[in-house]
Amino acid sequence: MNFIMGDVSALPLCALLFLACGIHAYSNFQSHLLTLPQNPVIEIGTNFTATCLISNTVEVTADDLYWKLSNVTIPRDQYRKVNSTALSVTVPITKDISEEWLFCYCRKKSSYVVLNEGKFIHGISLRTGYRPEKPENLSCISFQKEDKSFPSLQCSWGTTRRQTPTVPVHFTLKVMQVLSNQTSSTTTKDHWAEVKLSPYPFHMELEVWVEAVNQLGAAESVHLRKEAQHFVKTNPPEVTVTSEKSFPTSLLLNWTPPVNQVCVKLTYQIRFCSPKSPGWSHVPLPDINDQTNFRLQGLRAYTPYTVQVRCRDVENLHGYWSDWSQNITTTTPEDKPSSTPDLWRTVVYNGTSERLVQIICKDPEFPNGRITRFDVKVEKQRDRAWNQSGGWKSVLVNRSEAEEGETSLTLLEQISLSNLESVKVSVVAVNSLGRSPEASLILPVKLPDHARVEELKVWPHEGQLVVEWKPLRNKLLSGYVVEWLSDGRLDWRRVSKTSNRTLTGRLDPFVCYTVSVYPVFSRAIGKPVQMLAYVEQGAPLRGPTLKLNGKPGHNEAELVWEEIPLRDRRGFITNYTVFYKLGEEIREVPVPANSTSLKLESLMGDSQYEAWVQASTAAGSTNGSHHSFITMKYAAGTIEAISLGAGLVILLVFLLGIYKREFLVKRLWPRVPDGRQSSIGTWSPDCSMKAEPPKESCVSGISVLVSMCESQSGFEEDKASLSLRKDKYTSEEHSSGIGGSSCMSSPRQSVSDSDEGADMADTTASTVQYSSVVASSAYKGQTPGSQPQHSVFSRSESTQPLLDSEETVDMFVQEASGRFERLAPQDITCSEVFGPPDGEQLDCCQEADELQADGRTAPSSYMPQLGGYKPQ
Amino acid sequence: MIGLQFACEIEGRMNGHAKNMHLKKSMKSIATLLSFLLLMAVHSTRMVGASRNHPCRKTLQRTFKLAKVVQSEASELFIIYKASQGEGSEFLCTAPVNNIPDPNISGLEASERISSIYTHLQSFIPHLKRVYEQQTDLQLPTSPMLPKLLGVSANSRNLALSINDFYHRAFPNLPLPEPAGGPTTLPPPLNVFQQKVYGCMVLKTYKEFTSNVSKEFKSFRGKVCRRRMKTNALF
Repeated sequence: MNFIMGDVSALPLCALLFLACGIHAYSNFQSHLLTLPQNPVIEIGTNFTATCLISNTVEVTADDLYWKLSNVTIPRDQYRKVNSTALSVTVPITKDISEEWLFCYCRKKSSYVVLNEGKFIHGISLRTGYRPEKPENLSCISFQKEDKSFPSLQCSWGTTRRQTPTVPVHFTLKVMQVLSNQTSSTTTKDHWAEVKLSPYPFHMELEVWVEAVNQLGAAESVHLRKEAQHFVKTNPPEVTVTSEKSFPTSLLLNWTPPVNQVCVKLTYQIRFCSPKSPGWSHVPLPDINDQTNFRLQGLRAYTPYTVQVRCRDVENLHGYWSDWSQNITTTTPEDKPSSTPDLWRTVVYNGTSERLVQIICKDPEFPNGRITRFDVKVEKQRDRAWNQSGGWKSVLVNRSEAEEGETSLTLLEQISLSNLESVKVSVVAVNSLGRSPEASLILPVKLPDHARVEELKVWPHEGQLVVEWKPLRNKLLSGYVVEWLSDGRLDWRRVSKTSNRTLTGRLDPFVCYTVSVYPVFSRAIGKPVQMLAYVEQGAPLRGPTLKLNGKPGHNEAELVWEEIPLRDRRGFITNYTVFYKLGEEIREVPVPANSTSLKLESLMGDSQYEAWVQASTAAGSTNGSHHSFITMKYAAGTIEAISLGAGLVILLVFLLGIYKREFLVKRLWPRVPDGRQSSIGTWSPDCSMKAEPPKESCVSGISVLVSMCESQSGFEEDKASLSLRKDKYTSEEHSSGIGGSSCMSSPRQSVSDSDEGADMADTTASTVQYSSVVASSAYKGQTPGSQPQHSVFSRSESTQPLLDSEETVDMFVQEASGRFERLAPQDITCSEVFGPPDGEQLDCCQEADELQADGRTAPSSYMPQLGGYKPQ
Repeated sequence: MIGLQFACEIEGRMNGHAKNMHLKKSMKSIATLLSFLLLMAVHSTRMVGASRNHPCRKTLQRTFKLAKVVQSEASELFIIYKASQGEGSEFLCTAPVNNIPDPNISGLEASERISSIYTHLQSFIPHLKRVYEQQTDLQLPTSPMLPKLLGVSANSRNLALSINDFYHRAFPNLPLPEPAGGPTTLPPPLNVFQQKVYGCMVLKTYKEFTSNVSKEFKSFRGKVCRRRMKTNALF
C-alpha cells in the first residue's frame, strides 16, 4: 500500500520532469525552414502563394527546396525563387482542400541534412472556403403571445448555403430603433433568428438587416425599414354572434380586437357558412373596415350559420393576417315558410282499371322553421271543373331533431283512382309562424305519351349523378322532374324547362339507382324515360352460387348459377368467368353477363373437378363458392351396352345348353354302368334291408341327406364344410363310380376288423379272393332295375378284399340316404355319418383324392374293373 | 422654338392678307402653349413641396399615435397601480406631493407647446424610474404592474424621441430646449406610505399629462406641417 502511495506521489514528479525535458528539447529544436503565411484561410477559386524561407544554415539553398501538397509534389514551373534562401509556390485552389497540408522539403544533399531531416521540413495546414453571400428574402414577423404581448421579432432569410465546414458563415440579425439608434442583435448559423424587443416599440421605426460573416469576408442583406406594428401577426379576435328574433334573416357579430387599437389599427375579414352552402362565403373587406361589429344580412331563417373572423394591420396591405377565430355557430330566428312544398306522387298500376296513387312531398326549400304539419286538399275533376270533396285535411309531421336537418319525405295521401278519374292535389306546409304558399299537382286521366324526353344520359360525377337529356319543344311544358329510386328510397328534383341537365345530389356508392325523367306540363305529367346508374361501382359483394344441373357425365357437366341479388351486385355485371380445376390445372371460360349456365365439355372421366364462378363489374371481380363434382367412370350407355352384351352371352349359353342338352349331360354326368345288371352272384344279406327306390339317383340321394342333416343337427358352422364335403362326396361318387362303392364298403374296414394295424397297402394289394356286398346304394346314380330290390349278395370275381363288417356300413348309408326315419335306432349323427375326423372311410376318400391329385384320375383306375365286369 | 420656326417659315412662304391672318393665329396658339407650361410648372412646384413635407406629416402622425399608446398605457398603469396598493388606495392620490411636473402644457405657438411637451416628458421619465424602483421593493416580482411600469417608461422615452424628431422636421431652424433648471429634482427617501402616495401622484399626473399630449397632437394635425406646405406653395 505504501508502495502504491509512493508511486502515485511520484507520478506528477515524473510528468513534470518529462515536460521539462520536452521543453528543453523543443528549445533546442530549431527548424531551418519556415513556410509563410501560417494558418492561411483561402478563398476557393483563387491562387494561393506560399513562401519557404531558409534560416540559420548554409547547408542548403533555395534551389534545394521543393513543395508537396499532401503527398503530391508540385511541379517546378509553379515555383518562384525569391532569393537564394526563399522559394515561393503558387497553387490554384479550385475546390475545397481543407485538412490538406502544404509542405516545404529539402533535398538530401549532405549528411547534415540527412541526419537532421526533421529540421528541413515545414508545412502549413490549408483551410479553404467561400466568401459569404448576401442573405436574400429577409422577412420578419412578430407573433402575439397568449398574454397579448409581442415579445420578439423573428426574421428568416435565404442563402445559397455555399460554405465549407472549415470556414463557416455566421449570420447576425440586427434590429435597430431608428430614432434612438439602439441596436439589438442575435448571431446564429441558421437561417432564422429572433431578437427580443420588450416592450414592443409600436409606432417606432425599425431597421432590420442580416450580416453574413466568415474569415473571408462579410455581406449584408437589404435593410428592412418599417414601423414596428407592421411586423406583427396578432391573435384572432374573440367573436360573439347574436340572433335577434325581429331579424330572422340576419345575425349580429361583435368581436374584441386582440390588441389595443392605439397600438395596431386592425382591419377584419368575416366568413360564414351554413350546412347547405357549398363553402365559405366572405364579406367584402370594404364593408367591414376597422369596425368591431357587423350584421350579416340576407341569410336563411332558421338555419345554423358558422362564423369566423380574422384581422391584420390596416395600414399594411401585405401584413400578416391572424389565424381565423374559433367557429361560432348560431341559428337564425324562425320565420314562416317562404316557398312551396315540393309535391310529387308515385303511381302503382295493378293491371285493373284502377291505380294506386301515393301523394308525397318534401319540405319547402325555405321552411324557415320546423314544419309541424301539411294541409292537403284533393279535388276530383267533374265536367271540366274541380270539385272539392273533403276540404283541407291536416297531416301532422312528427320528426325527431336528428331528422330535422335531413331531406325527408312525407306521405300525404294514398288514393285509389280509376283510370278515368283526374285529380288535383293541393298542399300547404305549416310551421309555428305561418303557412307556406300553396303547391298543387294534377294527376291526369292518362299520361300523355307523345312527349317523352329523348337521349337520356346518366353518368357519375363526384359522388353525384349527372342526368342530361334532350330538351322537349312543347309549349305546354312547365319543367321536368328528375326522380331517382333505389331500394325503396325515392327522391326527386324539379328542373326548369330551360334546363336539360341536373345533379342528383350526394348518393350512396355501389347502389343501383333507377333514374327517371318526367316532363311536367301545365296540366299533366308526361311519361318518364328511365335508366339504371351507379354513382360508383365496386366488385360484387359476393360471387354467384354454383351448382350442377343434373349429374355430371363421363366427360361433361352442366353448371348453373343464380344471379347475384341486386343489393350485392354493386355494379353492372360485365361478364362471368367459370373456373374449373383438375388437380393443379385451372381452366377458365368467360361467359356473357346475361348467361347463368355453362356446359363444360372435354372433361376427364372418373375425375374430381372443383368449379367456381367469378362475377365481374367494371370495378372488380368476386369469386363465388366452390363446387366439387366427380365425372362418371363410364359414359352413359356403356354399362347398358356391357350388360346387354353379357345378357346376350348368357342367353346364348342358355340356348346352347338347351340345344346341346344331351351332349352336356353326357359330358357333365357320364353314364356309370349299373352294377345290378352285372353278372355278380347274389346272396341274402344278414340284416334286413329295404329296397332302394329304383328312380332315386345318387346325386339326389346325397342332396336329400345333406338337407336332412342340416335341419336336424343344426351345425350351422359346419354348413360350408358339409357343403364342400357333399360336393366332394358327390364328385367322388361321380368320379369314382364303382370305386365309391369300394370306398364305402371299404375292404380296410374289414381288414381293420380282422387285423387292426395292418397296412392298408398290404390289404389292398392282397390278391385273395373276396366277396363283396353289393348294395343298391353302392351304385347311386345308376339306373336301377325295374325289379324290386332284393338283398342279394353277389360274389364278385374281383380280387378286392371283402370283409363282413363292410356290408353293415354300406347298408346303413343306403338306408340313411333313402329314409332317414330309420336312423334313430342306430343313434348316429350326421357328423358321424359325414365327418368322422378319424374314420377309415375318410381316409379312404382321402386316399382317393390323393390318387386324383397324383394325376391318376379315379375313373381311369377303375376302368379295368369296368372292363372286368363286362364279361360278367 | 419649333413653333416659332414653323411660324417664320409660314410667314416666308405666304404673302398679303392671308399671310397676316395665319401669323396671328400662330401667335395665339404659342401664347396658349406657354400659359399651359407655366401652369404645369406651378403645379409641379406645389407637388414637390407636398412631397417634401410628407415626412413631417408622417412623423406628426406617428408621434400622435405613439402619444395615444402612452396615454392608454398610462391610464391602464394607473388603474393597475391603485389595484396593487391594497386597501385605502383611493386616498393615496389625495395628498399633495411636491416636485412632480405640471401636467399642463404651456406656450402659445405650436413650437412652444411642443417644446413644453418635450421638456415635461423628459421631466417625468426620472419620476417614473423612481416609482419603479420603489415599487420593485414593495411589490412581488410577479406583479403585473412592474412590467407595465417598465413599458410605460420605455414608451415615454420613445415618445420623447419621436417628439424630438417631429420638432426638428417641423421647425428645423428652432432648437429644442432641454428642461430648465438642469436635472429633474427627485424626492428624498420616503417611507412606504409616502412611496405609495408619491407613486400614485406621479402616475396620476402622468396620466393627465399624456392625455393632454394626445389632445395637443390631435390639434396639431392639419396645422403644423400644412403651414410649411403653404410656404412651399407660395414659393
